Amino acid sequence: MRRALVATLCLIAGPAVAGVDAALDEHVLPGTARFAERAAAFEDAAQEDCSAEALRPAYHDAFDAWLGIAHLGLGPLEDGGRGLAIAFWPDTRGMVDRTVRRLVADEDPATSDADAFAEVSVAGRGLFAAERLLFDADYAGYAEGDYTCSLVRAVAKDLSRMAAAVASEWREDFAPLMREAGSDGNTRFLSEREAAQALFTTLVTGLEFVADRRLGVPMGSFDAPRPQMAEARRSGRSLRNVVGYLEALKELARTLSDAPIPQTEAAFAQALETARELEDPVFAGVETPVGRLRVEALQTEVDAITQAVGSEIAPALGVSVGFNSADGD
Amino acid sequence: MPSRRAFIAGLVAAAGSPALSWADAGAPSYLAAAREADETFALFGLDAAGHDLFRVPLPGRGHAAAAHPDAPEAVFFARRPGRFALVIDCARGREIRRLRPPEGRHFYGHGAFLAGGDILATSENHIDSGEGRIGLWSRSEGYARIGEIASGGIGPHEIRAVSDDLLVVANGGIRTHPDSGREKLNLETMSPSLVYLSMSGRIEEEVALDPALHLNSIRHLAVAPDGQVAFAMQWQGAPSDGVPLLGLHRRGGPPVLAEAGLAEQIALEGYAGSVAVSGDGRTVAFTAPRGGRLHVFDAAGRFLAAHRRADICGVAPGTALSAAGFLATDGLGGVMAADTDGLRPRAAPDRAWDNHLVRVGQAAA
Repeated sequence: MRRALVATLCLIAGPAVAGVDAALDEHVLPGTARFAERAAAFEDAAQEDCSAEALRPAYHDAFDAWLGIAHLGLGPLEDGGRGLAIAFWPDTRGMVDRTVRRLVADEDPATSDADAFAEVSVAGRGLFAAERLLFDADYAGYAEGDYTCSLVRAVAKDLSRMAAAVASEWREDFAPLMREAGSDGNTRFLSEREAAQALFTTLVTGLEFVADRRLGVPMGSFDAPRPQMAEARRSGRSLRNVVGYLEALKELARTLSDAPIPQTEAAFAQALETARELEDPVFAGVETPVGRLRVEALQTEVDAITQAVGSEIAPALGVSVGFNSADGD
Repeated sequence: MPSRRAFIAGLVAAAGSPALSWADAGAPSYLAAAREADETFALFGLDAAGHDLFRVPLPGRGHAAAAHPDAPEAVFFARRPGRFALVIDCARGREIRRLRPPEGRHFYGHGAFLAGGDILATSENHIDSGEGRIGLWSRSEGYARIGEIASGGIGPHEIRAVSDDLLVVANGGIRTHPDSGREKLNLETMSPSLVYLSMSGRIEEEVALDPALHLNSIRHLAVAPDGQVAFAMQWQGAPSDGVPLLGLHRRGGPPVLAEAGLAEQIALEGYAGSVAVSGDGRTVAFTAPRGGRLHVFDAAGRFLAAHRRADICGVAPGTALSAAGFLATDGLGGVMAADTDGLRPRAAPDRAWDNHLVRVGQAAA
């Protein structure tokens, strides 16, 4: 009888979910606050001097901060397509190019009004629209008073506004919603486990995105590599981004797990070491057999991290990867 | 000469079978399979609010079920490439038949009842040729195989009865071979289609997409009370392409593709899981488990709403009490009422609901 009672209590208590608070306090909230700060600094810099040369350092800072939260594809970043408006990638249909070109050709007056600019297509906003303007030869040499200058300022202001909204919504609304998972009236997270599951899903999805797209898209196939599709290649950031994404995902993994995670730590260390030694900043090497092999090795090591978090962190949280989303039928 | 239906009904009566109805199984409104916390699988009957009515153990993970229009019988299909389907007596809670496809065929995971429930149709692969087949089985003869017809394409997936002797078939267009699992063998040339088939095998109408969308595999179907067909697709190009994943079709007309704004389209990850038309026929919903979305459209294909829920996949029409809405299920155990306004949790048992939620008692006109 006593044994049966204990078993029942264990079932009710379920697995430990302490990782949610730690992930919010030590990863999500500092990360979103940092991105808001850096995006505001980018906006300030653009107001002061819109020239590409002057703005590039602040642009890189803002992008670096974005790497820390890009994987948080739930809550404030998915509202109104914000995640895509901040970072429209992979751009498989060439929409950033088309949209920015159109804005400039038409001298679209949306740049003079923040509300109007927020209605511009997500492909014409955020970090990748800014990258075109600051790094692409087609727009080089613009000056104060040119339309391109006002477009740069509008993009920076819009980015800063979105980053501030993401940070405040996480702080005020979405983090409390996750902490109160399972409480009456919380229709988003029906149990504590669902909140843990949601954060774990961002970890796995983030890792898969690095392997399959950030690395996989420029790799293309052996016969048809696509280095021109590498993320942020115009600003020379493709590899720097992969390192930053992995660092952020490592931080999330550490905060989510109460217990030591030696396999996960080792897998991250291995992939990060390989990435740092790659010396191929925009994955141009995928066009040669040897270069491709090296990027593929990194991809395999990122897949190994996914395996490690699945076997080490998921059971401790009582969660798993998507039952239907991973099925594919 | 008596009609085929009356003839078969006579056979059933002569055999003295007790004519049980769905009421004998607790009058479920829905069927859904799930993986339970102990990793075993079962089929559940749910009431209109999504609460359990019965549970029948299953030997493994399934894909979809077909509910008989009157008798408390469900045919439950294995995941593709499926080598069996189970006929389950939901009133007595047991398997009464195990269907195996003939030599050289495998099931694709869906089926539908025709002819008032006398005929079961199953989507199948003729493995050697890769051509789609629809297998026909006679319920009154103990689910004996009585024939097969060509599906009019490759990779037929979901099939639905439009009327007593007319099927609509989603030919996904993707050739697979069981020796290579789910590997897609013909992406460059794939050409999905929506085909209306009479039971005699005549193609009454065939609908194809614009060639630019030939990578959009037509997979899942729903039929509105007025006969309009809703079809959900799975894009085989880049997940970030943001192409439409829902189509609507009326007999004799062109297909109408329906989509939300660009950011929402891209968020779907190119993958729709299930589709349903509300009982009043006014709204259409589809799920996107990879994007964690349920999208709602009106019957003309205008976007109405996007709701978020991780791993949401099953969706079926609401019951008479919620004729304007839907019921949806997800891989975390959630059962939710859904309509244009939002998702409202109804139950959250500790189990992972499988891909599809099946409405009981929605016989074809």
